[in-house]
Amino acid sequence: MNMNSTSLLYVIILPSVFAVLMPLVPARLKRAKEAVVLAGFAANLALVLAIYGKDLSFVSLWSGTGLEFSLKLYHFSGFILLCAALITFLVVVYTTVFLKDKAYSKLFYVCLLFTLTLVNGAVLANNLVVMLFFWEGILATMFVLIALGGKNAYKTSVKALVIAGLGDLCMMLGIGLIGWISGTLSMDGIRRFPLSSPLAISAFILLLIGAVSKAGAMPFHTWIPDAANDAPLPFMAFMPGTLEKLLGIYLLTRVCVDFFDFTPGSAMSLLLMSLGAVTILFGVMMALVQKDFKRLLSYHAVSQVGYMLLGIGTALPVGIIGGLFHMLNNAVYKCCLFLTAGSVERQAGTTDMHRLSGLGKQMPYTFGFFAIAAASIAGFPLTNGFFSKELIFDGAVESGLLFYIIALVGAFFTAVSFLKLGHAVFLGKPAADMKPVKEAPAAMLIPMGLLSLACLVLGFGQSAVISNFLQPVLHEAAAGEHIGSHTNWLLAGISVGVLTLALIDHLYGFRKTGKGLEAADHFHDAPGLRTVYKWAGKKLFDPYHLGGYFIRAFAAVSLRVNDGINAFYDIYSVRFVGMLSGLVRKAHNGNQARYVLWAVAGLALVAAIFLLPL
Amino acid sequence: MPLLFIGIPLIAVVVLNAFYSWPDRRIALWAGMAAAPIQLALAIADTVYCLQSGGKLTSQYIAGFSVDLFSAVVLMVIGLISFISLLVAKNTVKEGRFSFGNAILLLMMGMNGIVMVTDIFSLYVFIEVTSAASFILIAINKKRDELEGAFKYYLMSALATIMLLLSITFLFALAGDTSYSAIAAYIGGLNGNYPPALMASMILFAAAILVKSGVVPFHTWVPDAHSSAPSPVSVMLAGAVIKVSGVYSLMRIYRDVFLYDPALGRVLSLLGLASIVIGALGAIGQTDIKRMLAFSSVSQIGYIVLGLSAGSALGFAGALLHFFNHATFKSLLFTGSAAIVMQTGTRDMNKMGGLGEKMPVTAISSIIGFLSMAGIPPLSGFWSKLLIIMAVWKISGWLAAIALASSILTIGYFLLLQKKVFFGKPAPDMEHVREGPGSIVFAEVLLSALNVLTGILSPFLLVYMQGKNLL
Repeated sequence: MNMNSTSLLYVIILPSVFAVLMPLVPARLKRAKEAVVLAGFAANLALVLAIYGKDLSFVSLWSGTGLEFSLKLYHFSGFILLCAALITFLVVVYTTVFLKDKAYSKLFYVCLLFTLTLVNGAVLANNLVVMLFFWEGILATMFVLIALGGKNAYKTSVKALVIAGLGDLCMMLGIGLIGWISGTLSMDGIRRFPLSSPLAISAFILLLIGAVSKAGAMPFHTWIPDAANDAPLPFMAFMPGTLEKLLGIYLLTRVCVDFFDFTPGSAMSLLLMSLGAVTILFGVMMALVQKDFKRLLSYHAVSQVGYMLLGIGTALPVGIIGGLFHMLNNAVYKCCLFLTAGSVERQAGTTDMHRLSGLGKQMPYTFGFFAIAAASIAGFPLTNGFFSKELIFDGAVESGLLFYIIALVGAFFTAVSFLKLGHAVFLGKPAADMKPVKEAPAAMLIPMGLLSLACLVLGFGQSAVISNFLQPVLHEAAAGEHIGSHTNWLLAGISVGVLTLALIDHLYGFRKTGKGLEAADHFHDAPGLRTVYKWAGKKLFDPYHLGGYFIRAFAAVSLRVNDGINAFYDIYSVRFVGMLSGLVRKAHNGNQARYVLWAVAGLALVAAIFLLPL
Repeated sequence: MPLLFIGIPLIAVVVLNAFYSWPDRRIALWAGMAAAPIQLALAIADTVYCLQSGGKLTSQYIAGFSVDLFSAVVLMVIGLISFISLLVAKNTVKEGRFSFGNAILLLMMGMNGIVMVTDIFSLYVFIEVTSAASFILIAINKKRDELEGAFKYYLMSALATIMLLLSITFLFALAGDTSYSAIAAYIGGLNGNYPPALMASMILFAAAILVKSGVVPFHTWVPDAHSSAPSPVSVMLAGAVIKVSGVYSLMRIYRDVFLYDPALGRVLSLLGLASIVIGALGAIGQTDIKRMLAFSSVSQIGYIVLGLSAGSALGFAGALLHFFNHATFKSLLFTGSAAIVMQTGTRDMNKMGGLGEKMPVTAISSIIGFLSMAGIPPLSGFWSKLLIIMAVWKISGWLAAIALASSILTIGYFLLLQKKVFFGKPAPDMEHVREGPGSIVFAEVLLSALNVLTGILSPFLLVYMQGKNLL
């Protein structure tokens, strides 16, 4: 292994070079900034492809800190790097068209390039502090990327910063703890630490929080739907759609597979699976009732993370492989779905499903790509989503029937909500008040097309993908087990049954209400659920919102306390001293008789103190 | 050698008055201004000698005068403050300069006598000389409030005189002698079984000297005398007179004659604390700048008395250092107030404002003086207060805590004065005000430098004294 391969440094620096070049591009040159950002992502892709498959590392002292700046490329980090490079390149091609007329596009591109630098750094880092350095940097670029969306976006970017910052803070503590108990911060040096002591468990949970909050699991997800409304759409495809999932699940896998001795049936395994199950259920139930294209997708972005957590949480090889495969598949189809939402937004001017209808005839390609990606996310047989979900179901059945049932319920509602979405937006008659809509330009269609094609290719080639890319991630003992063609026909049959049920339910709803948009409303209005949705509408499930109440109450109390202290110092103590000094002044009235009397009394006082033993 | 301290001012007064028709009546001031630095130089030489040898200087011709380290430091203070007072007088005293110079010389002689005598009756005599000279100086312009201030001082002094004489009579009757050493030997031989007459004499003596020191509740003459006296006399009173005729006598007798009697220590600690608090509260309530400074003297003398009451070498050293520091910072503040009163024509702080930009040297030196008084390191007042608090802490934590907390009150009236006098924009009728005359500015700079220097050198001095077993 080459110990000092500077090409790893280039992977990190290269996007930043283009980011720095961006402001130098003269504004008069048309398409110049688009050319620079495309060149940046293309160069990154080329470089990643060039080093893919090698085992490289880079070590140098981080001057003055006593820490090692070490990077490492191996099959897992290389795989994540490649996924990120490929998908972001496609999204950037799309973005250059989507943001063509936006004033903020230049700054947006600069932030995208810096984000790529940080993501590459975080993935390649072989030292926890180095990883933390890059990981935290993403907070800054994410803040700007969201805030560029306009006036309302600022609040959302603060929300994202606070939530992600809290997650990162937990991770920082976790890194400190694991460094302390294991004696090293090198990611290679921490091998399957036993989860027996309270400190080890705390470190595990803190790192877990850091990882899943990046991936967007409950309860760290609440900024994502807000960002869907406010942030520029390409941001959604980039960060919550792709990069954050890749990063979060990458770290989660490293923590569960490499750092700690994470075994099936352990308490930590149950904890992670429960978190996954809750995230699936909550995300999909919220997605079900959304009436906005982007917002609906954003809740699915949350819900799908739940499957990955559930899969990895089983700690079984089949579950972990399923979770990782689902991470890859989700990145592909979720990205594609966000892009179709973007082209609808750009061409029709809105993503409000009340105003959209019958776009299928006017935007046939977009509809087609949407259909493929939606089929994937719903787990339609032979798409990539089907295979990864089956693997996760497999793991869940082995770990506990309840988890399997929740996952199945999640699958059912996923299918229902996408049937509703597709039906409302693309089928039916075109809305009366909507002007004729044109198909999106080719530069936007091609990335969507390639992504939807990838859904099918990954589905057909699932066995090869798993054995070539994912299996090596598992540690030595489990790596030999063959998982690729493992297909449980019973579970597959149940899954198909669930999909059929979803279709029947959709038709029932459609028949009942006559509108595709309202085909799932019977769930919203179901007794019991209605109340829960009302609470959700009041943001009772949003820790950020509740935290806001707490902070405001705390601030009000603090202000009172502060006022009280101020009053004590500024008013009462001054008044008290003023009163005393007034007494002293009044006593000195210049009357000599009084003064002589005081002196005589003073003599008596001296005698008294002198004679009386105290 | 010690006789020089009596001889120089005495001969100067005799010569000045023997040849009455001087061409320039300011000659008396010049004489004083020559005598004061000579005394300062001699006193410094004595101090150095006493520090190094640890012994004392005794007069070869007249027995009963001697100078030890304690006396030498006080002689230094007297020389310094007389010099400052004359510097202030140079520009502020317009009439009766001849009498003024003579009275100052007599005052110096009286205080030098107090410091050097070794028997209690001589002490009484020189206290009376000092008081008489002070009455004259306070009332030298014969204005109404000056006369009133002098009268109040006189009346209180008369009370003190009665008590002092009675006390001396008892002591003479009991010990058969009036020298410090004989009385101390008598008291030491009693082993604590005091006859009632001795107790009475201690009580009377304490009360008499506390009147002279201006300790609560005997302090009532201090604000009136200080505020109504001419500015250079205020400098002299606050910087030297109340401390030499009062505090010095108390320290000397309490240590060398009454041998740190604990019952008397209790009196001193309680009244000292009362002085600290009531003096500071009184200062906060004043609008007259000199009255405020006079009340603050009451408060600061409380610290000296409190330090003394600890009855330990540490407390005594703290008291002596504060004695010296109070002389420098309080005379600095009174010098500043002399400049202000001279330039603005009023003592009412409510009529002032924004003088900081008109009188920058006075403003800055006043800040230095106050910070030193409030005990802010590294200025001189910090070290002496530190020693006092440390000494008192060993006796009673509560006393120390209250004394320490009272420093906040010091800061309080300091800020009040600074805000009213120096900060802000000049009041409309204060536009014409300019910096004080050169001699006063010189005095301010000199005293400020002394405050800073003493503060910086104090730790070294203390370490040196510790090495000599003087602490």
